[in-house]
Amino acid sequence: MEWSLLAQGGLNGVMLGVNYALIALGLTLIFGILGIVNFTHGEMYMLGGYVAYYFLGHFGLNFFATLVLAAIIVGLLGCILEILVFRPLTARPNIELTSLIAALGLAWVFQMLAVIVFGELDKNVPSAFSGILRMGGVVITVERLATILIGLCMVVLLNLFLLKTKTGMAIRALAQDKEAAALQGVSVDRISALAFGIGCGLAATSGALVAPIFGVNPSMGGEVILKAFLVVILGGMGSITGAMLGGLVLGFVESFGCLFFRVPTVMVLTFIIIILILIIKPRGLLGHA
Amino acid sequence: MRDKSRVEVIIFAAIVILLAAIPCVNRDPYLLHILCLIGINIILAASLNAILNIGELNLAQTALMGVGAYASTLLVMRVGVSFWVALPIACMVTAAVSLLLSILTLRFRGAYFLLFTFLFAELVRMLLSNFCIGIFGGIPGLTNVPKPRIDLGGVLQLTFNSKLEFYYLVLVLTALTVLVLRRIDRSRTGRILEAIRQSDSLVESIGISTLKYKVIGVAVGGAFAGVAGSLYAHFVGIITPSDFSVHSVLQPVAYVVVGGMGSVFGPVVGTTFLMVLSHFFLRELGFYELLVYGIIIVLTIRFMPQGLISGPRLVASWIAERRKSLNVVRNDEAT
Repeated sequence: MEWSLLAQGGLNGVMLGVNYALIALGLTLIFGILGIVNFTHGEMYMLGGYVAYYFLGHFGLNFFATLVLAAIIVGLLGCILEILVFRPLTARPNIELTSLIAALGLAWVFQMLAVIVFGELDKNVPSAFSGILRMGGVVITVERLATILIGLCMVVLLNLFLLKTKTGMAIRALAQDKEAAALQGVSVDRISALAFGIGCGLAATSGALVAPIFGVNPSMGGEVILKAFLVVILGGMGSITGAMLGGLVLGFVESFGCLFFRVPTVMVLTFIIIILILIIKPRGLLGHA
Repeated sequence: MRDKSRVEVIIFAAIVILLAAIPCVNRDPYLLHILCLIGINIILAASLNAILNIGELNLAQTALMGVGAYASTLLVMRVGVSFWVALPIACMVTAAVSLLLSILTLRFRGAYFLLFTFLFAELVRMLLSNFCIGIFGGIPGLTNVPKPRIDLGGVLQLTFNSKLEFYYLVLVLTALTVLVLRRIDRSRTGRILEAIRQSDSLVESIGISTLKYKVIGVAVGGAFAGVAGSLYAHFVGIITPSDFSVHSVLQPVAYVVVGGMGSVFGPVVGTTFLMVLSHFFLRELGFYELLVYGIIIVLTIRFMPQGLISGPRLVASWIAERRKSLNVVRNDEAT
């Protein structure tokens, strides 16, 4: 085993990991605050990809502006979904189960709508960056490097927002104790809709971010939601640091695993590792009871 | 109470007799094919509902059905036993796998339970499509699954080649499933399961071990998923791992939700309603069919969380409400 191969594996692992963490962040945020396992998350990611396809590919919008636009459009959609579908369920017993089923149904609706509106076929999104970097034996495209850096920036921004701003603190207060937060003057309705919107917006941004690398199609959400769930379970549901750690662990396991085994074996090994971790730590690596 | 349950039994028997008489009137193979699929899906939805009875959603339910389908098919094709032996064995194998899953999952509740079952379903699909391809057949799966046969020497020889024979087999097994589940629902175990769904800490506080009853729920759910799988494999004749992927669990979830979660007849009503709707009325819609399905799920959970089965009760309470308010108005006018 050469040194360069291991380094390449590590680099690929970081790229995959940042990507997974980004997708999982929104999922874990929504679960932590609203207690909803949002099955539509993959579809929000897919819609973000299509925003990139139309605005970047057809209208020639700037790449960064496209990312922001994806977050805004899909974030608004998320707010509307929270108000129309999920909020009325919170008053009833067993919110986890009913909201999950509603989300499953919605995921189906969005996927089918995407097939009808956008067509079933894969579509390519033009790349915003070009060129290849070589460092020793390690090769990386500028595009992938940019993806890693933008992803890391987003994680930092989200953390700053949650830790430093008043709205961010209100969101965290809601996650800790809904009633106590309401007593302190936090508007539960407004913050819930906002948090759901931010979660969906994060999914859309990561979809738009990787659209030039992987292309877009209506079923891309279904493929990615599995990874997002793995990351969230691994890191602990509701934990943001956990999602980042889980993303990196999954990225490294897949990247290094593929150097030694066939892809299906790697998948099964990943599952077994995660099941073992859960048996030892049922709430995930950094989850709270 | 007793009268009500007697009425239920009479209505149930009448429906089964009516269904048994359908082939006398119409032997259209398409009709019988769809009716068979409805029966198999009722068993699947009922098995999902059995686990919903302990308040958890098992996303691995179709994966368990797949375990039953593969177990039964492999027993018939590779070991060479008859379908009538393979069906109960497949049922037991699936119940055992379901119990194994429950050892891992019953430590969790809510979101963790269903995410764990989600992982399990994907694991089953990957194992079936990528490993031991000589036995499981890989991604293309297994084809030419033999039809069941009855061979009593000179007395009776019957191969279930046509839809008609299969129709009666499915009808009998579906009716049996509903009867067994209704029996469980009416028993002490059923009442405890109902209590666990409402609040399991309350049940534990009066000295009943909830774990034992949860395990019963999971085992029953697994066993019937196995029956559905075995029937499906021998009826359709082709099974592939993707038939039982985690995405295919959406359909039974829709059936149970639309019919009414937690009640024995809910899954029956929901499956029949949605499958009749999609196969006889929405056939021309293509993609729009699944779209309509999704919208129906969302609307049901939003506006009618107890499902279709609560429809008559809702209408009755609405009428009572109207009458009461009318009386109030009348009294006001009188005074």
